[in-house]
Amino acid sequence: MTFLKSTLAGSLVFASLAGAAMAEDDTIKVGVLHSLSGTMAISETTLKDTMLMLIDQQNAKGGLLGKQLEAVVVDPASDWPLFAEKARELLTVHEVDVIFGNWTSVSRKSVLPVIEELNGLLFYPVQYEGEESSKNVFYTGAAPNQQAIPATDYFLDELGVEKFALLGTDYVYPRTTNNILESYLKGKGIADEDIFVNYTPFGHSDWSKIVADVVALGADGKKVGVISTINGDANIGFYKELAAAGISADDIPVVAFSVGEEELAGLDTSNLVGHLAAWNYFQSADADVNAEFVETWKATMGEERVTNDPMEAHYIGFNMWVNAATEAGSTEVDAVRAEMYGQEYPNLTGGTAVMLPNHHLAKPVLIGEIQEDGQFDIISQTAEVPGDAWTDYLPESAVLVSDWKDLDCGMYNTETKTCVQTLSNY
Amino acid sequence: MRQLFLAGLAFLAACLISPGLGQAQTAAAIQPILQDHQALIVKSSRKTIGPAIDAVAASGLPQAQTVLEVWAAKNMWQRKSDGLFFIGEKIDSKTYALTDFDSGESVGEFAKSELKQLKPNSGIRALIGTALVQFQLSDPNIEARRAALLSIERDPEASLLAPLRASIEAESDPALKAQKQRLERLLTIGYDSDEAARLAAIADMAGDLGVDVRATLNPLLTTKRDVVAGSVPEGANIAAILTPGQGDFDRLSAYDMLVAKDLAPVRISQADIRSELAAHIEGARVGGVPVAKLNTEGNRLTAYTALAEAGAVPAFVTDTAIDAALAAHTFFDAYLEPSEAVTDAAAQALKDIELKVGLNQTLDLTLDALSLASIYFLAAIGLAITFGVMGVINMAHGEFIMMGAYTGYVVQQIIPDHTLSIIVAIPTAFAVTFAAGVAMERLVIRWLQARPLETLLATFGISIALQQLAKNIFGTQARPLTAPGWLDGAWVMNDVVSISYIRIAIFILALIFLAVFLYIMKRTRLGLETRAVTQNPRMAASMGINPDRVNMLTFGLGSGIAGIAGVAIGLFAKVTSELGSDYIVQSFMTVVVGGVGNIWGTLAGAAMIGFLQKGIEWMNPSNTLAAQTYMIIFIIIFIQFRPRGIIALKGRAAGD
Amino acid sequence: MQRSFIAKNPSVLIFLAILALFTLLVTVMSEGFGVGGISTSFIKTLGKTLCLCLIALAMDLIWGYTGILSLGHFAFFGLGGYMIGMWLMYERTRLIVVDSLANAEIPPTDGEVIDAIGNQIFGVVGSSDFPLIWAFADSLTIQLALVLLVPGLLALIFGWLAFRSRVTGVYLSILTQAMTLALALYLFQNDSGLRGNNGLSGLQNLPGVTASQDYVSLWFFWASAAALGAGYVLCAWLVSGKFGSVIRGIRDNEARARFLGYSVETYKLVIFTLTACIAAIAGALYYPQAGIINPAEIAPIASIYLAVWVAIGGRGRLYGAVIGAAFVSLLSTWFTGGQAPDVNLGFYTIKWVDWWLVLLGLSFVLVTLFAPKGIGGLIDILSDRRAAKEASQ
Repeated sequence: MTFLKSTLAGSLVFASLAGAAMAEDDTIKVGVLHSLSGTMAISETTLKDTMLMLIDQQNAKGGLLGKQLEAVVVDPASDWPLFAEKARELLTVHEVDVIFGNWTSVSRKSVLPVIEELNGLLFYPVQYEGEESSKNVFYTGAAPNQQAIPATDYFLDELGVEKFALLGTDYVYPRTTNNILESYLKGKGIADEDIFVNYTPFGHSDWSKIVADVVALGADGKKVGVISTINGDANIGFYKELAAAGISADDIPVVAFSVGEEELAGLDTSNLVGHLAAWNYFQSADADVNAEFVETWKATMGEERVTNDPMEAHYIGFNMWVNAATEAGSTEVDAVRAEMYGQEYPNLTGGTAVMLPNHHLAKPVLIGEIQEDGQFDIISQTAEVPGDAWTDYLPESAVLVSDWKDLDCGMYNTETKTCVQTLSNY
Repeated sequence: MRQLFLAGLAFLAACLISPGLGQAQTAAAIQPILQDHQALIVKSSRKTIGPAIDAVAASGLPQAQTVLEVWAAKNMWQRKSDGLFFIGEKIDSKTYALTDFDSGESVGEFAKSELKQLKPNSGIRALIGTALVQFQLSDPNIEARRAALLSIERDPEASLLAPLRASIEAESDPALKAQKQRLERLLTIGYDSDEAARLAAIADMAGDLGVDVRATLNPLLTTKRDVVAGSVPEGANIAAILTPGQGDFDRLSAYDMLVAKDLAPVRISQADIRSELAAHIEGARVGGVPVAKLNTEGNRLTAYTALAEAGAVPAFVTDTAIDAALAAHTFFDAYLEPSEAVTDAAAQALKDIELKVGLNQTLDLTLDALSLASIYFLAAIGLAITFGVMGVINMAHGEFIMMGAYTGYVVQQIIPDHTLSIIVAIPTAFAVTFAAGVAMERLVIRWLQARPLETLLATFGISIALQQLAKNIFGTQARPLTAPGWLDGAWVMNDVVSISYIRIAIFILALIFLAVFLYIMKRTRLGLETRAVTQNPRMAASMGINPDRVNMLTFGLGSGIAGIAGVAIGLFAKVTSELGSDYIVQSFMTVVVGGVGNIWGTLAGAAMIGFLQKGIEWMNPSNTLAAQTYMIIFIIIFIQFRPRGIIALKGRAAGD
Repeated sequence: MQRSFIAKNPSVLIFLAILALFTLLVTVMSEGFGVGGISTSFIKTLGKTLCLCLIALAMDLIWGYTGILSLGHFAFFGLGGYMIGMWLMYERTRLIVVDSLANAEIPPTDGEVIDAIGNQIFGVVGSSDFPLIWAFADSLTIQLALVLLVPGLLALIFGWLAFRSRVTGVYLSILTQAMTLALALYLFQNDSGLRGNNGLSGLQNLPGVTASQDYVSLWFFWASAAALGAGYVLCAWLVSGKFGSVIRGIRDNEARARFLGYSVETYKLVIFTLTACIAAIAGALYYPQAGIINPAEIAPIASIYLAVWVAIGGRGRLYGAVIGAAFVSLLSTWFTGGQAPDVNLGFYTIKWVDWWLVLLGLSFVLVTLFAPKGIGGLIDILSDRRAAKEASQ
């Protein structure tokens, strides 16, 4: 009914507009804010291509609300301040209705104030450290409890790991994730001295010392496991050194949170068979929708290209947005936001993703073993895990919840029963 | 199909109804045992799988070993229609052939969608491996025996000691026999019931550097922290008696131990006070203090004390109360191992080993530093030539390294054999970057000879153009450059000292370059002319040397070496368009610290930076970034005191 | 004195006039105060460009006039941004925290307020305690003073060490590069106290100011224009007097200047520290417009770009630096922003996003090879021609 009404109203307004304006209103603009140059281009270009593919598919299906979708692609060039500038440009100059973009946390923190100021809508597709819930952002990637915590549980329960090496690149995602994990592991009875933490710079390539340190951890007879939040290119050197040191996954398993199919493409994986990665999606997922998605991707981009987890996040996010806009009968941000809560869409891995009132998804957690061909063998798949904006394992965050539907607050203190703030801390 | 299913069902029912009958019937069949534990096997969790593996292993059936091996190799499949387990063999991506465990006969081909593969995770595989040990220890197949020993090594267990001992006598392979004996010693230390035997085993293994020895000894010294009222209990194997507030055992955590054991009242924290006060607000006052005044800790405490006196809240625990409680109790660490003789021997043995380990770690660190130094040297040597000999700063040097690495990648695409492709790639990379270097020298650098700062800018322009060009051509993804198989792995001296072959190869390559460079400079006509031009270009020109040609060749040589360095670096790290820029700053530092225009200086610079970086990393193992920061700060300060580097040169380069 | 210096540099008046006209034009066209037509995001870009012009002036002073190729001036630029960012971030967070704690049942103690602010600011780097360097973050006055003091002091110490040891030429360039790299790496560390890789963000939201960014962006634009104008006058005054002659003398022949009795090291140190302070002011104005500052901003590459702007604009003339910085950075924005149309060659489509850097790199080479005077050289040719024309008439 509402849909009918707004369509009627829309068409009335439409009719009263001059012809020149019609051309303008013909399309719904979708902003794509991914770096196409600079250090992050390696990961983000793929997501831009994914968005273009999804938009083409939607247009082939007849577009949205009777209009065609038009992608507005800008290049923030891996330059964090430029992200804020481009976001403002997308929202004010191009007047896009929604933005899909960002990869690094710092780029997200850079656009947050702009998006909140101008009441934009951002879909953020990458696994991240949590501790945030903005009114204007939907987080379609994994929160720590959808990737890090289940993977750690897997280490504890399934592999019997008793001593942990947390290796990460020195930036906010590994730092926060490792903080959460340290606190979680201590809660599980792992002693302080059984947690080894190391941070390396971006693109680090000299890993021999660190790998030797990890091997030496085994000296007290406890099973050692590595939890890696090493980012990007640095993984290549790390895995090469690991392979050279002859560390088998049965001796010292490594679970990575930032290594997917795309990263493995730069590696010979024959020496890495059995090491693990935790994601919400693997290309090898055995489902018909996935087979179709992979096929379309390869047909568009080339046979050698692979799909990965953030692509699935965009796939879910985009389709949820399309459905929410259809139900709202408009692409106006607040109307779409209201329809997003409880929005369901099938995962590529089977099952259904649900958008929660805290702007995170409920998604299954998958753990895969690296295979010779650079793909992952999925050895564990959980039921849908609801994403948690504020982790339960850090004392300051444990008391916070986010609920934009009923409480209209992204940072609600359950102890004092007050809303700490409605804007995000960036 | 349907009949088979019914048959299976009936069979299952029979098993369930009359266990006695079932056992009689299944004397030779393992499928029913698997079916008994179907749920556990399908659930596939290490925590619950135990009974299933035990049942198979304890069945005493000849098939048990096959089942376990097939299962661990992820080749066990379940037919969805009846839940039976089979050996699966891939026919093509959609079809699998199934073989029955008991009869060993094929039961036909099935579509993948009708089947479910069982994927035991590595935790379960380890359990299966342990269960397999009893079958494999005396297996005629040497690989199986090796696998058994590996399983014991990974998960030593008391129950494995007896079968291991029994198998040593009959072992024919000397290497395996030695390994079995070593494992027997280790298991004896950990699990033998006879104290004397354990002490003897500890003595046997004294001074051994293996991680496994330490891994056996350390658990013996596991302690548990405890507290009792009064003095230490009798009979406990005490490691240390602790005094709260000394060392890393602070007063508050000591007090918390008392609280946890109900030996003392709970401490009241500021947050507790706050929430208690909030709960007792009466008409804008708490405990007689107005709410608005509760914004200092002192006032809050007053209000809380008032509440406590009124009995509304538990009393505040003061510092004196804490001290009194601590004084009344004894805190100690006790060994879990009851035998004092064993813990003493283990502690002594470990102490001896630790010293050796320390020495070996130093050696390992030295090897790492040498390796890093050789990488820096390799990256910097080309720069040293162009910078030192010609006084030209080539900011595009890093991009020449990158070009070399990409050449290696392209060659590997054409020649799939890794050994051959590397052999081809090295001269090709040299040729490509030599040509690029010569072209750059002729087109750009020659025209800027008198203006070194502008050369820096122009070459920087070339650098960003080349970098972006590489991105446009090869994309932003890292490209694989795989080392030949014989460079895989590491040279392992012992469990502490090891270095990967690829690093050794790079080290040797660096030595070769050093030799080649020295040979060219000291023994060839080109070297003579280069040295002449370096010292005095005008005089050299008047002696019939063509300085332009010399400069061009030197530049080409420097760039060519950068290209080969690129292949080497690509082999051990990654091939991306940013590869060069990762090394350019370090290369500059190497050259500047070492002293311009002298190959020994470059060597000294590389060695110093390599060792320094590793040294700082060793002091601060959890933060590699800090190591790099401090290294650069050190270099800045170093240059203040030796502005011309470690080995200063006299001549043109020194006079700028 | 004053008159003679303006008389010596007629370009100062022309420059100030153009700058004033430009500022007025932008204001009239803005969304906040004018008719609209220039979007707020573009005003921010323009404002930031003015700040870049200011630091380019500083670069010109040290490189074009004194002959010291510093590849580290963005370190000072960044530090200026960090210093002002600390106050912006602290004060904004304090207001939020005080606001949210005002509703609590029990009024907060001072300690609780500080803890909550610390938790908000440092939560992302997994800490909640204020590092020592934030001691004055609550005072705008002190932080403003620190904008000049911290970079100035760093430049003074670094310059004193370097010049005292007579490190010159390319060595000094590499040393300054090492300095900015060390600072960037240090700040990248999470424990540096300045939020590591995340840096300080949300700086565009001025604490206690509720006006929309349409207005705030203009305020900063005006401030940047004023700073650039003042900076230009200061630099022009400096280079026109005796001081200017001495530093040019050092550039052209350092040994000779020393033998003439000038304390070369002192002059260098003064100019190095002064330019560092100018860079810091530029940074302090730049980052509240950019919204975020993080260590990547002061990576060595930024300072190299700075040198390139000055080279393209034309060294040794102040307007050259301004033109270079404005021209290259705006062109860069245009090409990488996806606005430039792709060129279809039939067999290959040139996407400017991909090819802009190649073009930029090659243009450095061409400029250094064929136009060492940069764009400013063009103006020489024009004015020479006019002079020739006047002479022939």
